[in-house]
Amino acid sequence: MRNFILNMFFLLMSVLSLAAQDKVAVLKGKVIDSADGYPLIGVTVVVEGTKCGTVTDVDGAYELRIPDQKCEVTFSYVGYDDEVKLYTLKNASSFQKVVMYMNAEQLADVVVTGVYERKKESFTGASATFKTDQLKAVGSSNVLQSLKTLDPSFKMMENTQFGSNPNMMPDIEIRGKTSVVGLKEEYGTDPNQPLFILDGFETTLETIMNLNMNRVASVTILKDAASTAIYGSKASNGVVVIETKAPARGRLQLSYKGDYGLSLADLSDYNLMNSREKLQFETLAGVYKDNTGDPFAQIRLDNLRNERLKEIERGVDTYWLSEPIRLGFTHKHNIYAEGGEDKIRYGIGLSYGNVGGVMKDSDRQTLEGNVDLIYRTGKFQFSNKLSINWLDVTNPTVSFAEYAFANPYYRKYNAEGGVDKYLYYPEEGVDDYPVANPLWNARMNNWDKATGFGFTNNFIFEWFVTEELRLRAKFGLTKQDDDEQTRLSPLHSQFDDMGETEKGLYAHTQIKELVYEGDVAVTFGKLFAKKHMVNAVGGFNFSNNHRQVYGYSATGFTDDQFDAPSFANGYPVGDSPDYNESLKRAASFYINGGYAYAERYLLDFNYRLDGASMFGTGNRFRNTWSVGTGWNIHKEPFMKDFDFFSLLKLRGSVGNPGNQNFAAYQAFSTYKFNGWMTNIFGTGVILNALGNTDLAWQETTNYDLGIDMTFWGERVNMTFDYYWKHTDPLLAVITTPGSMGVTSVAMNAGSQKTQGWEASFRISPVYRPSEGIMWNISLNAVSARSEYADIGNSFSALNESGKTSLVGTTRYYDGGSPTAIWAVRSAGIDPATGKELFIKKDGTYSFAYDVNDEVVVGDTQPKIEGLIGTSLYLKGFSVGCYLRYRWGGQVFNSSLFQKVENIGTQEVYNNQDKRALYDRWSENNREAYFKGISLVQRTEKSSRFVMDDNSLVGESFNIGYEFPDRIARRMRLGAMNVQLTMTDVFRATSVRVERGIDYPFARTVTTSLGITF
Amino acid sequence: MRKILTYIALASLLTLVSCDAWLDVKPYDKMSQDELFSTESGFIKSLNGIYIELNSDMLYGGALSVEMVEIMGGAYVIGTDNSVWGNYADLAEYEYGTDYWRARLNETWNKAYSLILNCNLLLEALENTGVKFSGDNYKVIKGEALALRAMLHFDMLRLFGPVYSRNPQQDAIPYYKKYSVVPNDILPASEVAAEIIHDLQEARILLANDPVRTSGTMTSAPSDGSSTFMYYRNLRLNYYAVTALLARSGLYFGDREAAYQYSTEVIDASDKGIFPFVDKSLVTGSPDDPDRIFSSEVIFALTHSQRNTLFKDYFDPSRIPNYVFRMDNDLMSSIVFGGGAMTGGNQDDYRYRVNWVATGANRYFYKYSDMVDSGNIRNTMIPMLRLGEMYLIAAESRSEDIGAGVAYVNRLRANRGVGNIQTLTRDILQYEYIRELYGEGQLFYMYKRMYTPVLFSPVASRNPQPSDAIFVIPLPTSETDN
Repeated sequence: MRNFILNMFFLLMSVLSLAAQDKVAVLKGKVIDSADGYPLIGVTVVVEGTKCGTVTDVDGAYELRIPDQKCEVTFSYVGYDDEVKLYTLKNASSFQKVVMYMNAEQLADVVVTGVYERKKESFTGASATFKTDQLKAVGSSNVLQSLKTLDPSFKMMENTQFGSNPNMMPDIEIRGKTSVVGLKEEYGTDPNQPLFILDGFETTLETIMNLNMNRVASVTILKDAASTAIYGSKASNGVVVIETKAPARGRLQLSYKGDYGLSLADLSDYNLMNSREKLQFETLAGVYKDNTGDPFAQIRLDNLRNERLKEIERGVDTYWLSEPIRLGFTHKHNIYAEGGEDKIRYGIGLSYGNVGGVMKDSDRQTLEGNVDLIYRTGKFQFSNKLSINWLDVTNPTVSFAEYAFANPYYRKYNAEGGVDKYLYYPEEGVDDYPVANPLWNARMNNWDKATGFGFTNNFIFEWFVTEELRLRAKFGLTKQDDDEQTRLSPLHSQFDDMGETEKGLYAHTQIKELVYEGDVAVTFGKLFAKKHMVNAVGGFNFSNNHRQVYGYSATGFTDDQFDAPSFANGYPVGDSPDYNESLKRAASFYINGGYAYAERYLLDFNYRLDGASMFGTGNRFRNTWSVGTGWNIHKEPFMKDFDFFSLLKLRGSVGNPGNQNFAAYQAFSTYKFNGWMTNIFGTGVILNALGNTDLAWQETTNYDLGIDMTFWGERVNMTFDYYWKHTDPLLAVITTPGSMGVTSVAMNAGSQKTQGWEASFRISPVYRPSEGIMWNISLNAVSARSEYADIGNSFSALNESGKTSLVGTTRYYDGGSPTAIWAVRSAGIDPATGKELFIKKDGTYSFAYDVNDEVVVGDTQPKIEGLIGTSLYLKGFSVGCYLRYRWGGQVFNSSLFQKVENIGTQEVYNNQDKRALYDRWSENNREAYFKGISLVQRTEKSSRFVMDDNSLVGESFNIGYEFPDRIARRMRLGAMNVQLTMTDVFRATSVRVERGIDYPFARTVTTSLGITF
Repeated sequence: MRKILTYIALASLLTLVSCDAWLDVKPYDKMSQDELFSTESGFIKSLNGIYIELNSDMLYGGALSVEMVEIMGGAYVIGTDNSVWGNYADLAEYEYGTDYWRARLNETWNKAYSLILNCNLLLEALENTGVKFSGDNYKVIKGEALALRAMLHFDMLRLFGPVYSRNPQQDAIPYYKKYSVVPNDILPASEVAAEIIHDLQEARILLANDPVRTSGTMTSAPSDGSSTFMYYRNLRLNYYAVTALLARSGLYFGDREAAYQYSTEVIDASDKGIFPFVDKSLVTGSPDDPDRIFSSEVIFALTHSQRNTLFKDYFDPSRIPNYVFRMDNDLMSSIVFGGGAMTGGNQDDYRYRVNWVATGANRYFYKYSDMVDSGNIRNTMIPMLRLGEMYLIAAESRSEDIGAGVAYVNRLRANRGVGNIQTLTRDILQYEYIRELYGEGQLFYMYKRMYTPVLFSPVASRNPQPSDAIFVIPLPTSETDN
């Protein structure tokens, strides 16, 4: 292995020394940027039809040896229009100062991988790049929300439980899942989460979520092996590369960007009963019917019902859902001052944001200061980005579900206008549970809050050794301290059954994290003989991630008001302090090479050797490779006469990126003290966790075939990708026979195959960019299918527990899809008997439910989903509209399953879905879809609850205006724009399921303002 | 240029070499296996950890000594009032399939095998270690770990396996000799038996130089304050404990000769004063503070720092109105400690005088009640193997004819303050087992071995008849489903 690395370096060196030139005459000059007059570094200068060529140095200067005759000299630079000048033997002076113009279109066509940059045209990977304007146009909450609207392969999982809680980190996937369940539960990290790179350094999802969007310059999503393999064993879930803005040259410039948003809770999916319906339902369910045969009990129940009925007649019909809800106000501000000249550029920024959620006490405040410095001298450049952040978070202490459970026939307030602790309290001697008032619990002095403070300093040193060769060293340091505290008042109804000295709870968790990462890389790029473009990057990277978690809780508060932990009586009985530490280290070598022949035939390769401390000693190092090829058909000579296509590229890649989103000490067996007893022989130790040193790390072989097309004078843009992924082996926590000594073990088991395609299409029926008039229509779609293979019986325990439990429709069988819904087929409710009729595996009908008749009755993965969008630019005015569609998937309707049927003796006291009352089978309603009302019969999972889940969501609407220069100048401003964005405006679905159980979903309207002074 | 790159290449090479060490991260908040087994004391701590865990209430600190398995052995009167007796009524009816007992049995199974895994990891570490052990420690640690592994497997076989005397070829339990991520196959009982005997014999050879053979049990700490590791040998699976296990398992597996040979070897050692019969004065001389477990006769016991919880949780008459475990009055008065020559039962029996104390109309079991001297090591002992059982094994295995062993029984009885019996029958042998081993979790296995009714009452019709349904516990679902 080590020999191999050495060989690679010698190979690299011999390639570098190939350059050789001959001389006749010399042209000297300097290339500058049209916008600000500053020198451009690395501009390629070549004499057409010869092998002569060079690259400008750090001062933009070049020296070109040319044949002593008339010739054309071409200046080309990534993101700029080519400049072609004719040399006539006499006009050498006109070459002294060459001005190049930025090409806005082309700048978007650079792929930033975080390790190296490539022109999109010569890149063989599948990727998508979005600029700040595009991101801002579709939303203003955060970068990831916008990405979701722009690229359907970037998926943010809808969290039915936690809705639009601003403090909940989303689950994110690029091109679907590659990991089996059980791992997130076990280790708390999402094994399907992509890798996030911010300004060349690995970062966390939370950092990206907190990042003020106005600081972002571009975001690149890397999808296939050719583009991600440079990140080796961290890359199999895809990579999101985010670059923040670098300070621009020029006089001091100050800009302000502000977003002001309003959020409204979307409760349209709730279909709860009103007071009359609920009482009717309870009556039908037999709540007011005594079963004990005690005549007094029946009288009591009759009285109870009559009292409730009286309240209803008085007009009591409480709408509880409005209680915890508010109009959420969000405001974010960003001020940035930038400037500098040739040698030093600087930028100083301050961002503040306060995201107000749609539930009361739900806030997320962030404050971030950043200082960017770039210093350049001679062949060296130093740049440093420092950012300091502060975070303050509060969460509601009573979940939304508790309000949804409250019955509408209870009053919120008592006669004096106060809030009672109980909505219902059973009289003495009655065997019944009291019903707590969620308003009481919400009004107590409870809190759930967190603060965080941290900084990140990223330092980059670059040495432009020669025109072709660059050396770069990076070092990044991040320190983050978080502090989470929760408190529940002793008066909270949860503590009713506890002794006076055990009531109340205070919990404190402290998280300390220190991460550093270093990287040294050599970059080489040269055009040989005008035809052979060679790019190479080789480097070494190391990282260290140390995390400590301290925690304790205290109990025994006697007062609601005084809530400091010092008022606690003691620690919970049997509780011990928490301490958790993890140290992860990784070291890697990587190399990337690219070769392009005459810009037509492209070849990329990547190799990375990763070593990580989480890997077992038997498997510490891991190889990642990828190869990508491409063919720029539009550059072929035979296409020259036919200039319909401005881009027509075929590309393909294969590679094996890995996944290491796993726990730090997975491979270790660890021991602990027998804390509960010592003996005459002293202390003893016992196995705590069994490591698996032979665990093979999850690896995904990834194939991608793609085509990129741009034609009809840039008016039509198409990209199509077909991919095939094979994750083998899978890594899963598997329940084992108890005789193995452990009940579950992390194991390699089986594999998963996924194939899918992605297409995006954009057409501009009106395309007059020079006049600032453009109308775009875009349509994109993704589709994917996965299946398990070679898993055998490894997951039989999961299957069995899924079969017996009331939740869980996922099964693990060879050939089965990870997203399939398994249930017994149902023929509906038998009109005669009101019983459910099941269809057995052999097709016969039976009233008897047999779990072994389970088949696939649906799939939560839609056949196709994507976005349809349109945008119109008219002078400074812009309008955009993006709709998300989803078709061909199914969902197991848990609202119907749990809030219509399967309402047991406990649940009947909660408010329920209206459908629990209507459309139920009875003697008079024989054609019903649902069984008769009953508190005792258990409804099994059947296809009756599986429904088509097709939807159309108004994900983003926006209107913007960019003030023309003359108006801005009159207002003594450099530039000014305003924008109005609405997200999740409407939602049309084929199925009605309660969403946002603990926290509702939100619809948001945001106004954004950008001013440059 | 070339120079620079050479430097970079060299630097990279150096980093890679040092990488391996840098990546070798040791957890601070947890004890890693490598660190633990890097010293001799780590091995000793790991072995001690297994002994300590045997005191778990899922194993011999409850379920497999005084509680679950003893209820199955018909030792206690179990009431029918669910609010007092909870799930015990189901177990007394041998309903192993209820959720509660399935979970409890599962828990016991998992715990036993988790300790077997601990033994295996310890044994594997011993195989590969470079640590230099002092004295004979290496052999002693290895021998004890092997014996622990065999003992746990043996008890799982006795609990979950078939009635060995009738179906030795039937599938029983898996036998784990090393850690593996792949589950081992369930073996026929006879193959498990062979593995158990093999491990025990190997342990016996390794423990050949056990100081217990020359210096006895040494039940006091070294006066110079040095390590107690080689002391208190009766709290460890010592040489004679392994021999006694071989006697017990020999009898269970129908190898009469082996049972006789090993049991008499222990009896011989006892005669030489290593496990002497209890001093009469300790039992009858101080009627308020007797040595209730006859501690000098105990060949192997666990040491449980809170042993009195066993008494307080199950036997203490002050628990009333909560459940209290005790023997059926009729069984006691007409068979176990009454009935004269027909049963060998006698109220002069030390075992009756010290362990059965009257409160109201009933007598309650005081074997696990603390002695006055609360700091005494005897107050922590849960007997696992005792001399009395060796006498009973010798009696039963002396010859095909059970009557031939009468002398062994009479010798034991003489040391219990009761007279001889004339002829030894299987019934009387069983009564003697009840007298000697009551509350030590062995009765169920005895009935299962002999395939006889479970003696719960003197009224034969009330006693559960032998059948696979009561003697063979179904394997835990975690075992059959995975």
